[in-house]
Amino acid sequence: MDTEKRKEKLRTMFSKVVEPMGYKFSPDEELVDFLLEQEVNIEKEKGHPFCPCQGLTGEREHDMKLVCPCIPFHRAHYDAMKRCWCGLYVHKDVEDPDELMQISIKEFLELNK
Amino acid sequence: MKKVVIYTLSTCPWCMRAKKFFREHDIPFEYTDYDKADEKTKQLIRDDCHDHGAEMSFPFVKIDEDVVVGYNPEKYSKLLGL
Repeated sequence: MDTEKRKEKLRTMFSKVVEPMGYKFSPDEELVDFLLEQEVNIEKEKGHPFCPCQGLTGEREHDMKLVCPCIPFHRAHYDAMKRCWCGLYVHKDVEDPDELMQISIKEFLELNK
Repeated sequence: MKKVVIYTLSTCPWCMRAKKFFREHDIPFEYTDYDKADEKTKQLIRDDCHDHGAEMSFPFVKIDEDVVVGYNPEKYSKLLGL
């Protein structure tokens, strides 16, 4: 399947998963297009559309938590950022995604002790 | 001048923005694309990430002994005194 078709398929599939969780695709369409393209390439190479911004370790339990959309496995952390780590998804009420900063897990856990 | 080392992924746009930030501010840095590295280098990066209590989230920016996980130009500037 060619890249553009697969990107559209992923977009359709993913929106059905993230919307009930209160997320939408980022308004930054250029970023969304770029990230979906990376995921299609990662899927071709590694078999799953892993997150383009998180590293795989080879440990199945760890890596499967990074298959997009990985929101359910990182829900509290991402809710605190109002975005997922790579920024493909943001909370539904977000209009300007550039305002949203990445907060590391370490910082997030310290903020929520 | 502080030493800047960045662990990146070749697929990550935030890693690209982090590199762009340092280039635009004429800050010399080294970077390693984790996904393109050999296994030995990957293990070193994994150990380093875990030593700093962080998941395998990128960009992973080391400014001397300080670590910033994620794209955060404000923090980079503060640590570099810009």
